[in-house]
Amino acid sequence: MIESAVGFAAVFILVLLRIPIAFAMGLVGMIGFTYENSFRASISMVSRLIIDTSQDYGLSVVPLFILMGLFVNKGGISRELYQVSNAFLGHFRGGLAMATIVACGGFAAICGSSLATAATMSKVAMPEMRKFGYADSLSTASIAAGGTLGILIPPSVILVIYGLLTETSIGQLFIAGIVPGVMGILFYLLAVRISVARNPEAGPAGPRASWGERIAALRGVWAVLLLFGLVIGGLYGALDFWPLHLAFSPTEAAGMGAAGAFLIALARGGLNWAAFREVMEETTTTTASLFAVLIGAWIFSNFVNVAGLPEGLLGAVTALDLGPWVVMGLIMVVYIILGCIFESMSMLLLTVPIFFPLVTSLGFDPVWFGIIVVVVTEISLITPPVGLNVFVLKGVVGDVSTGTIFKGVTPFWIVDILRLALLLAFPALALFLPSQM
Amino acid sequence: MTRILRALSVLPMAVASAALFGLMVLTFFDVVLRSTINAPIEAATELVRIAIAIIVFSALPVMSARGQHIAVDLTDGLFNRWRLARLRDGFVDIACGAMLILPAQRVIVLAERSRSYGDQTEYLAIPTYLIGWFIGIMTFITAAVLILKGLMIWAGPRLTGILND
Repeated sequence: MIESAVGFAAVFILVLLRIPIAFAMGLVGMIGFTYENSFRASISMVSRLIIDTSQDYGLSVVPLFILMGLFVNKGGISRELYQVSNAFLGHFRGGLAMATIVACGGFAAICGSSLATAATMSKVAMPEMRKFGYADSLSTASIAAGGTLGILIPPSVILVIYGLLTETSIGQLFIAGIVPGVMGILFYLLAVRISVARNPEAGPAGPRASWGERIAALRGVWAVLLLFGLVIGGLYGALDFWPLHLAFSPTEAAGMGAAGAFLIALARGGLNWAAFREVMEETTTTTASLFAVLIGAWIFSNFVNVAGLPEGLLGAVTALDLGPWVVMGLIMVVYIILGCIFESMSMLLLTVPIFFPLVTSLGFDPVWFGIIVVVVTEISLITPPVGLNVFVLKGVVGDVSTGTIFKGVTPFWIVDILRLALLLAFPALALFLPSQM
Repeated sequence: MTRILRALSVLPMAVASAALFGLMVLTFFDVVLRSTINAPIEAATELVRIAIAIIVFSALPVMSARGQHIAVDLTDGLFNRWRLARLRDGFVDIACGAMLILPAQRVIVLAERSRSYGDQTEYLAIPTYLIGWFIGIMTFITAAVLILKGLMIWAGPRLTGILND
């Protein structure tokens, strides 16, 4: 137990010295494992992990889902998604902000990254909202908040990493993310309504689009919606049209998604040689960095496991006579605080090895905990004073102060906390769909 | 100098990209063939595994040279204010490079062991030590790249500017 605490402190210090997380966790894990066993055992464990991880079939979902997101992005889908949402929602008060949320949700359905969602959507939605005289606080907040949907609505890279770290089914995690993700969209729409009710000038209503215009707008996105349906439907095993029965493993779903996105990008003419190379380079380097952190996190997990951290924590919880829900509450507090300091992936990697064994031994569902962790991480992305999405947005938009964005984000943050409370109170919200698989 | 570095990254990136594209095409046809005419590609699993190893370890040295490892930049302000950023950056790269040397050696030892056993993949009978060697060698290259980069950062800011191109 004490060795694990020292180990965590060491990782923390190394990470703050800007040692990459993969190396910090790997080094401390290796030294700790040597202390518990022997150097020979430690170096064998590390090299075996390197060899096995880099040839793990299940890990192939990582590059394929990243590839899918980047290809769809190259097809220029963000603008069309926005136009569709706008055609349906633009005539409401605050309608453009609502359209932004829905378009972010749609974009998140194919892109697994919150920062990418916020950065992409801001280029499309921001000029439009400015044109209609939206307040900067509302327009930037809707993009920053909408962007956080990226890591929950499947396929989500962070859920993949959680699934791999904890050996939880990635397919179940994805399906479990659907209802909380849709809840996220609906709650954010509510937050927009609250914002415009408090300050009607912030989001004037736009002109109403005719049904003809709406259907024309849908034409731009049907292929991507179909692709999303194929990937998620196949994962769920729900695509059963004789003579075809499509049931995918996560790797197969990712492969179909990537290939489909490639064809869509090609058909839309968004993919020349330079763009293709860029997508490939970004996917491979991102994959390499994710594999590095996974290997590092596993080395570290092996150390804390032999050092008896799970038993130690459980013993402490039992000795203090804390109920499971008190422990869960404490974990949530730790996440919200850490979220003010660390970016989502780092936070996940640093915390899951400690909390996961404890949480499951207290009888909580591993899939549900994954969704909860991701929702808390989402919240941290817009939590003052360091919500990362806000800073990404500030970087892209430029002339709006972070103070203004945080002010606009407050209603979104409040509905997020509400959603978290609901998910904690009613685990079935996340677990019902996967239980039907 | 810039041109040399860029040229050096072309081959590994091309290999990684080709493996990635192959992985995509392979999983696509595996699913299509299985769902339509019930004829999955039998060697798909082992090819997927090899493809991932190639993607990750081809990209690793290039990604390390570009400094794209996931890190926390919380204390950057402090280090910049104390003018220690360069010292630290060089140290971090050299330390990370050094950390890789022992595991890389061990990976080669394990690969040699699997060669002496004559281990092969199930369908295509590809000797597994080749993959082990590849992983080991690319880890060594990554270690060398990181150490060299660290030394260059210490040597002078002009040199590091080139790396970041």
